[in-house]
Amino acid sequence: MHELKIAQDLSAIVLEAAEKENLSKVTKVSISFGQLIQIVPDIFEFAFREAVRGTVSQDAELTIEIVPVKMRCNECRTDFEVKHSLFRCSFCGSTDLNILTGKELFVKSIEGE
Amino acid sequence: MKNILDRNQNKADEVRRLLRMKNVVMVNLISSPGAGKTTLLERTCEELGSTFRMGIIEGDITTDRDAQRLKKYNIPIVVINTEGGCHLDSHSIFKVLGSFDLDNLDVLFVENVGNLICPSQFDLGETFKLAMISTAEGDDKPVKYPMIFREAKAVLLNKTDLIPYTNFSHSGFMEDLKKINDRIPVFEVSCTKGDGLGKWFEWIRAQIPQSGIRT
Repeated sequence: MHELKIAQDLSAIVLEAAEKENLSKVTKVSISFGQLIQIVPDIFEFAFREAVRGTVSQDAELTIEIVPVKMRCNECRTDFEVKHSLFRCSFCGSTDLNILTGKELFVKSIEGE
Repeated sequence: MKNILDRNQNKADEVRRLLRMKNVVMVNLISSPGAGKTTLLERTCEELGSTFRMGIIEGDITTDRDAQRLKKYNIPIVVINTEGGCHLDSHSIFKVLGSFDLDNLDVLFVENVGNLICPSQFDLGETFKLAMISTAEGDDKPVKYPMIFREAKAVLLNKTDLIPYTNFSHSGFMEDLKKINDRIPVFEVSCTKGDGLGKWFEWIRAQIPQSGIRT
């Protein structure tokens, strides 16, 4: 249930932005989560609803994009997508890898009026 | 784009700066409930307590039972009750650091709340993470929870004495772990029987700056 803590932090970020931009109502919040963060979208949606209850974001639509895990091999410099938790270069087999994507926890946009 | 966990990250960076300045190693110990974190700390206190100045932060959802078990070693222990929260965060760590005499501490073990997913997402400002799993949980944990096995500096495989009574596949576990992190050291131990702890003690000693030579 790290979803709840993350939803609370997200709600605080949205409220701060709404205040700064003088929004009376937040209509849409778009976020992206990396697959490695292991967020369950349904649980997150539920947690978000709880976190924004009674605020200017309470009716905001929430869009969640899940970003797949991509890595770069430090041996052959190939970029590839990781599937089934196989953290190994799909071209040369090396395990000396850098995570390129998959750890995102970003607010992409906040819309309101 | 704003990172949702910025608030946690900023505080974690502050914790890390402070501990580095004080030359204190902080170990974030992560496992499922019942894997043997507290027993590992008991054995480690017995072995290292006379060489290093140790401290412990006990993260528990509720109760101070783990802390009670460790009281006998006469080292500073602070309990953080998360009251339902499934992980510790950097703000709660920062708050309790003031209870320790950091100028007289070499190593601070943080026993995180028993959970393999949530604690791996929250940087506490630790020097490194340690993942623990017990054989009774099954050999599929690395593929199910890759993040923690990717981020940890070492893995402790506990309850090796129970392998004959479980369907734990040692080769399956090692093979899966290597797919995720093939350079990670693995210590195979039984914290209750004492098997394999020598190598763990040797390794953890090497991670801590020697007491008394701090500047």
